[in-house]
Amino acid sequence: MRKAAVIGIIVCAAIGSGTAMRVAGADSSLTPAQEATLKQTLYTCGVCHGGNGQSVSPTFPNLAAQSAPYVSLQLHAFKDQSRADPDAQAYMWGMAARLDDVQIDALAQHFANLPAAAGVPGGAALIAVGKSIYTLGIPARQVPPCATCHGPKGEGIGPFPRLAGQHSPYLLKQLLVIQSVLRTAPVMHGVIKDLTRTQMDAVATYLQSL
Amino acid sequence: MFAMQPVKFRRHRMQVLGVVLALALSHRALAVPSFARQTGMACSACHTVFPELTPFGREFKLNGYVLDNVTQVTGIDTSGSQTLSLNSLPPVSLMLQVSYTHTGTPLPDSAVSGALAKDGEVLFPQQVSFFYAGKVANETGAFVQLTYDGAADHFGLDNTDIRYAHHLVFGGANDNNHALILGVTLDNNPTVQDVWNTTPAWGFPYSGSGVAPGPIASTQVDGRLGQSVAGLGVYAWLDDHLYAELTAYTAAIAGGAHPLDSTQSNVAHGLSPYWRVAYEQRWDRNSLSIGAYGLKTDIHPGNGMPLQGITDQFNDVAADAQYQFIGEDHLVTLLATYIHENQTLNASVIDLFAANKDNALKTSKLSAEYSYQRKIGGSLGYFNTTGSTDTLLYPVAAVTGSATNNPNSSGYIAEINYLPWLNTKLQLQYVAYDKFNGLKANYDGSGRSASNNNTMYLLVWLNF
Repeated sequence: MRKAAVIGIIVCAAIGSGTAMRVAGADSSLTPAQEATLKQTLYTCGVCHGGNGQSVSPTFPNLAAQSAPYVSLQLHAFKDQSRADPDAQAYMWGMAARLDDVQIDALAQHFANLPAAAGVPGGAALIAVGKSIYTLGIPARQVPPCATCHGPKGEGIGPFPRLAGQHSPYLLKQLLVIQSVLRTAPVMHGVIKDLTRTQMDAVATYLQSL
Repeated sequence: MFAMQPVKFRRHRMQVLGVVLALALSHRALAVPSFARQTGMACSACHTVFPELTPFGREFKLNGYVLDNVTQVTGIDTSGSQTLSLNSLPPVSLMLQVSYTHTGTPLPDSAVSGALAKDGEVLFPQQVSFFYAGKVANETGAFVQLTYDGAADHFGLDNTDIRYAHHLVFGGANDNNHALILGVTLDNNPTVQDVWNTTPAWGFPYSGSGVAPGPIASTQVDGRLGQSVAGLGVYAWLDDHLYAELTAYTAAIAGGAHPLDSTQSNVAHGLSPYWRVAYEQRWDRNSLSIGAYGLKTDIHPGNGMPLQGITDQFNDVAADAQYQFIGEDHLVTLLATYIHENQTLNASVIDLFAANKDNALKTSKLSAEYSYQRKIGGSLGYFNTTGSTDTLLYPVAAVTGSATNNPNSSGYIAEINYLPWLNTKLQLQYVAYDKFNGLKANYDGSGRSASNNNTMYLLVWLNF
């Protein structure tokens, strides 16, 4: 029994010495200790968000190719608990509690440099409605085009997040919690205040397909 | 779940032990607020409805309970290596279970012949547990449970799992590398270290009456060695898919005579290997796992017989499967396990504890659980144990025995759960027996039917 445990530890050490975790776009200014911490942190992120930044469960957003300024802003908002929607409290307040500015910047850069998730096809009719809202808005209801801030292909611009290829249930949930002000997002509150759930679903389905 | 029975139980015959163990093992407990305090995450991150684990909860356990987001007390040596990393606040918590049990027909008085015991039983507490559950050092964590059992009026070490886990990544770039956890577990109950809720230690039902009669027989891996062995094992978890473990257990009984002697019972001889393999696939909001596990153990019956010479051999081989759907509002879990035990009772036959040298015992458990928003839900379960007829192993006795010398028992469990808070469960459970110790009617030869043991169980379960 002890022999088995010792063998396990030796195997573990042997493989561990040859690890090759790559940090995408790793900042060469990080110290070895910071690099090691970042690797461990990325592993933790990957449990929910996927090792490649592409999550399995739509409870957790894809982070691959996400805008670095957006990820940084959100991690700070989780850390200072200013982003307080239910999942933020349940998962991310704890996760972000001990991240420092250096780690947050490195994480944001890492995810920004990962290849984006491929789009997932959805219902054509819903996608057509969603595309119209996304690119043209709903002028009659003073809903501006989403593309104005999030980019013509949902690629994200600076602090405005990438939406293309994101899980539609996640996008729908964010629209709902922003509309109900469980999640604070000052620009978005005005933009989506009159969107119906069906319209939200259409936009989310369109964006997931990109 | 409690650790040990009073010594007086150990001096009884095996069939009594079987019943007592069945009662004891009906207790289940896990879901520890100290983990929430340590990680800063809500219970819902790791549990669907406690104590059942989510995929993230399984990762947390396999990683050695070490994920932390609280200030650490740290130390380094002169080379800069870390010598200490300790939560600034100890990860301790408390669990309280208060219950009410009502059986179909009252049980006989234990002292006055012909009289009946009180109809309906409140246990306050059924169980109180203190936990140290969390990080001990980098890559090392502990789940240690100390339990006071109200019915047994006993305080002792309950389920304990201390583990070291090392995570590493190897292979290609970010999108095709491999993630591997290699770990070591030191624990006191086969399957307590497992992360799927299909194996016995954390299987359905998660709580049950501590005072209602239970079927006479259960397999060794199904809890008969709980808290009476110590195990050291290694495990590997590859790419969030494949799990493999090998753990060796040896006898480690608390209380009674020490060094262990003939006054003990069901004492593991030498090393008992426990093995486990499982494969999990996750997609969208679903996860599906299939696996197998087993325990091969040599047992000294004890019970007045020396712990020397020939032994009984038990070879347990089991298959299990789990499906989970974790939606925003709706959560569904399906659990299944089948355990086949071959018994070669060389010692028990000589000691006149068993009539047959070769017996078999097979147990099936199926359950389906549903929860709405983790607040209200219910479960339905089916259990079935069948085994060889043995005149000495399963003798005739009122309530606990079998008129047909047969252990066959089956029935259903229905539960309604309400969780006003994520750490508080109010439960109504009903256990209906279709067959008890061999028969549906007059199973004990004293006129008691299986349905007389049907049990209504109300539970208040708090974790804080």
